[in-house]
Amino acid sequence: MDRRTFVKATGVAGIAGLAGCSGGPTGGSDDDTETEASGGDGSGDSGGEETTTEPSDDGPAANIGMVYATGGLGDGSFNDQAQQGAFEAEEELGISFNEAQPDEVSQFSTFQQQFAGSSDPNYDLVCCIGFLQADALSETAADYPEQNFMLVDAAVDAANVDNYVFAEHEGSYLAGLMASLLTTRDFSAGAGSTAGDSTNVGFVGGVESDLIRKFEAGFVAGVNAGSDDVDVSTNYTGSFNDPAAGKEAATAMYNSGADIVYHAAGNTGTGVFQAAQEQERFAIGVDRDQSITKPSYADVILGSMVKRVDTAVYTSIESVVEGNFEGGDTIELGLDQEGVALVYGDQLGSEIPDEVADEVATAREDIIAGDIDVPSTPQ
Amino acid sequence: MRVPDRIQTVLERLVGASATERILISTAALVLSILVGAVLVLVAGRMTTCTASEAVYYFGTGFCYDPVVVFDRLFLGALGDPFSGGWSPDGQFSVTLRETTLLLFTGLSVALAFRAGIFNIGTQGQMVVGGMATALLVLWASSLVSGVVGTFLLVPFGVLVGAVFGGLYGAIPGLLKAYADANEVITTIMLNFIATGITLYLVSGAFKDPNSAANQTVPLPDYAQFPTVLFGGRQDFSLVALAFGVVAVGALYYLLEHTAFGYDVRTSGIQPDAAEYGGVDAARTIVASLTLSGALGGVAGAMYVMMILGSFQSGVPSYGFDGITVSILAGNNPLGVGFAALLFGVLKSGTTVVQFATDVPPQLVGVLRGLIILFVAMPEFFRLVGKRVTDTGSKVVATDGGTPGGEADE
Repeated sequence: MDRRTFVKATGVAGIAGLAGCSGGPTGGSDDDTETEASGGDGSGDSGGEETTTEPSDDGPAANIGMVYATGGLGDGSFNDQAQQGAFEAEEELGISFNEAQPDEVSQFSTFQQQFAGSSDPNYDLVCCIGFLQADALSETAADYPEQNFMLVDAAVDAANVDNYVFAEHEGSYLAGLMASLLTTRDFSAGAGSTAGDSTNVGFVGGVESDLIRKFEAGFVAGVNAGSDDVDVSTNYTGSFNDPAAGKEAATAMYNSGADIVYHAAGNTGTGVFQAAQEQERFAIGVDRDQSITKPSYADVILGSMVKRVDTAVYTSIESVVEGNFEGGDTIELGLDQEGVALVYGDQLGSEIPDEVADEVATAREDIIAGDIDVPSTPQ
Repeated sequence: MRVPDRIQTVLERLVGASATERILISTAALVLSILVGAVLVLVAGRMTTCTASEAVYYFGTGFCYDPVVVFDRLFLGALGDPFSGGWSPDGQFSVTLRETTLLLFTGLSVALAFRAGIFNIGTQGQMVVGGMATALLVLWASSLVSGVVGTFLLVPFGVLVGAVFGGLYGAIPGLLKAYADANEVITTIMLNFIATGITLYLVSGAFKDPNSAANQTVPLPDYAQFPTVLFGGRQDFSLVALAFGVVAVGALYYLLEHTAFGYDVRTSGIQPDAAEYGGVDAARTIVASLTLSGALGGVAGAMYVMMILGSFQSGVPSYGFDGITVSILAGNNPLGVGFAALLFGVLKSGTTVVQFATDVPPQLVGVLRGLIILFVAMPEFFRLVGKRVTDTGSKVVATDGGTPGGEADE
């Protein structure tokens, strides 16, 4: 076949095929169709001036930059939760946001500076998600004193940074209390059951760090508050993204008599749920309501210790939009502010005995009132 | 029979290509990869949805992602926009050079081992060990001196510490290979895990910074880090470190091409039995080249600690594995490593600019990056293969009297 005809035909077919794809711009009005003069994609002589997007109506209420933690979006917990807060703000406050997903620690400072130094648009607030950003932010915040920042999970002492930290140990205490009360009785629901005569529960952590030890400390305290006879076995898998290791650790715990395993291990926790299903035991999720975000395991998830990163993001965006961003504060979101909470599983929640739920609710009130002091480091 | 003949001819032509031809081939490969990448960006732009005002139009069809912007940001953005007047000394160009500096060392590390016929996958581990040792020993030494004198003493000391510990860690697989016949691919991979595990244990326990939530060592004082020269301070880049890298490129080139040790290394890499017959102490050469390779990896770790982070933190980025790509891209030639590291540095830093400036998902940018590397590396890769397959005789067997360097580049 003539080579030129072939190339032409392929080109036409390709374009037609692309045009037929379901995606592409929506909204119809093709009045602003500035067909590019250069038919191809080679020469970059027209430079970077292509993105002349017209501001819609009167522009967004605020421009927000989001710098996520290294796990990236799609982790089903921490980063997605933060993005959720930005979505809510977009919907309710009319802001617009731009995102960056660093994949190594040295990129935190790069992205923070790109947002802070940008003048088109000028970002009203840069949200830094995750405690690993603290070191980079302490330098960036000093370099850009006019820029507002917010930081989740750590505190940087600077006048233009608002810090949001969570009382994970308080929420974990309630998870521990619930586990302790359930393991000492005969309880079965969904795909799991507990044996009343075995008084064992487990905790699977991700990378061992002060933050994750906070979860452990609260959980252990809660378990001990429920009953003196219950033992907690603890395992740190060393990764937040290793479901196989999570499964291995949890299976070992279930085999040695644990009925309920709580995890604070990001995606590693998916393995904990798998193990729970195989061993017909229970698990407790973390960060988000995992009986909803991981519905295939809803029949073994008793509840989840949610950490409302979205609340933190939303609150700080709201303060910027309303013009009362303070800076220099550290805001601790505990049970009282609903920054952390124990939510019961979507499927199993209704089957949890009332006396257990009552006792958990009482403990929650006591923590808020200050009658119970939950330790934040393991004893 | 015709097809093998044709392949043979093509390979022979590749092997026999002159320097100019090779540069032309690489440039053509780069352009081709950009064209293929552009098509991918267009296709991806049809698979997502966006508003009409955000789209770009080619051939009367709307696309959500604009390949021109993507590649403009990937390359010009990484160079800090030199043509649009937005260039600033603290801009993205410093990030590019920072990445380049680290990749220079890991690339050289892998290249040296390759030239000796050893596949060192352990550069990452050697870098981690070197970095950790630097962070701890420089921290200890920084209490003894301070100020400008401190910088003059501590920075070379830190680099030396990184080199020594990285070198010792590299010597382990060398000894295992030379005296126990253990496959270096396996041992270096395993030693990577061991390095990561041990440093995590140390840095989350005994040497942890009590004031930080992260698993990291106590930060080094400013005078114990690479000083900012002219530009790049905000982006944690130091020209001094880059100068170290450039010197290392020249030194390794000289070592390989103009010294007796380099001759031993190269001949062992090409034909070990012949080298041994010719009087090369095979075991000693293996240990020495892996030690030196490890030392270069360890220096990369020292740079990471003393230039970028200012402390050692668990979860070191995969510069060591990127070094393998850099080395292959450079055809294992130390001088080539310089250019390959720069290209890789541009791509790494450009990725962050693209992510910031467009809605293109980072995964897609990763694909574009991979395409460019693949296209540019393939001709060199086939050249290396061709050298083994085709029997050009006169080329490979260089003799003592042959002009060193000259045509016998690999």
